[in-house]
Amino acid sequence: MTPDELLEQIAGTLRHQIGPEVAEPFAKTQAFMASVVLEKLSRQLRLADAHALADGVDNTTLVHDVRVLLGSDASVPMRGALDAVEHHDAGRALGRLVESLYAERDTLGVERFDALLGRVRQTLRRRLDRQMEYAS
Amino acid sequence: MDARIRSYLAKQFGADDLRLSAVERIAVGWSHETWLFDATWTTEGAAHTQGLCLRRDPGNALLREMSDLRLQFRVLSCLDATVIPTPRPYFFEDDADILGSPFLVMEKVPGTCPSPWGRDGRAFYQAAADRGVLPDSFTDTLVQLHTLDWRAAGLEFLGVPDAGDDFARREIAKWRALIDASAHDVDPVLVDLLCWLDANAPATERLALVHGAYRTGNLLIDNDRVSAVLDWETQVIGDPMYDVAYVLSDLNREGTDLLSNLVERDAFVRRYEAGTGIQIDLDVCRYYQLLYGMRSAAFWMSASGLYATGRNRDLRLARTEWSIPVVLDRAARDLGY
Repeated sequence: MTPDELLEQIAGTLRHQIGPEVAEPFAKTQAFMASVVLEKLSRQLRLADAHALADGVDNTTLVHDVRVLLGSDASVPMRGALDAVEHHDAGRALGRLVESLYAERDTLGVERFDALLGRVRQTLRRRLDRQMEYAS
Repeated sequence: MDARIRSYLAKQFGADDLRLSAVERIAVGWSHETWLFDATWTTEGAAHTQGLCLRRDPGNALLREMSDLRLQFRVLSCLDATVIPTPRPYFFEDDADILGSPFLVMEKVPGTCPSPWGRDGRAFYQAAADRGVLPDSFTDTLVQLHTLDWRAAGLEFLGVPDAGDDFARREIAKWRALIDASAHDVDPVLVDLLCWLDANAPATERLALVHGAYRTGNLLIDNDRVSAVLDWETQVIGDPMYDVAYVLSDLNREGTDLLSNLVERDAFVRRYEAGTGIQIDLDVCRYYQLLYGMRSAAFWMSASGLYATGRNRDLRLARTEWSIPVVLDRAARDLGY
């Protein structure tokens, strides 16, 4: 049994065997919520490897596309943010990249800013779609 | 607990024979602890009965960083002499020796407050919408709020924004502080939303008392009319469009076309504009709807952070971890993702 399967099984036990036997309303709610949390965790764990792989591919493509759009104009903070997306904690680094774009909005001009932010948002949209597979 | 409440109230009312009846504890878990009861006593041979509501700070309630019971008591005290229907506040105590933590005692106003998200609540509001009285009362009460002379009511202590975009920036900063205190990494979509809000903050044309969460579920209903506006935790002096945006949003509609599952949109707009003399600015409302999106993310981050850091062991808070992507998904769509 894989870890995600084990979590799902425990969730089922809480929902169908333990919860119904609990009389006190608050404790009963807690038993039910525990099963919901474990179901979410199970699904998130099951998808984690595939999501990490997809995130990696998306981030690599994003960095390439943004570098092309920026050409030789990438500022030091922007280059740092792109390097971080490529090599480090992508969640935080994507946030840094977004912040860098907004900070340089006037320098970039409206069209380039919109193009760059639009490209970043494509990646964020796909990342969010993956999160929604276990969150919704 | 009942005995300690009784002892406290007996002293306050100077009545050793004070008794409590119909004691009911509500709102278990997330927010301030709340008890409803009737107090009965005699003074100089005359019998008195007063319905009361006691709210106690459990020390780990949601949004505690933004509004404590002392502030709520002060706001209710200011509103008591106004046309805004609110519970009359009686006592506030911050002495933890009395009931274990700070608490306030206020009037128990007649009425019910069905949850808008449950089956019974949905049926309640849909039936009220059909009868047509409560929808007008819902709108009229918001009109009363937004036309209140808040300076005369003594509410300046809430903070008065400067002209221009100061109000929006204050709100961003307030809710950003909740995000920063939540022990969560900030999702890049939320970073985008925060940056967008900062870059597009609208100027405020007029200032009003803004409730900050004006919807069914935060209103007490009696005989198809709003008998009290509740949940004075996010009020602020600011742009009335902030409340209007919340009313107009898709939130709380429960799958119907009705605002708050109660009010027909065009009727709300007509009645609100006629009552306040304020023309609703839909562009500004769109901005504030995105600000509410940020608020929702901050709220859920704070909620799940309470559980993650061990300050509150209610598993319903742990569950909210997965509500964060859901509200960010809505915000991303509103941003045009």
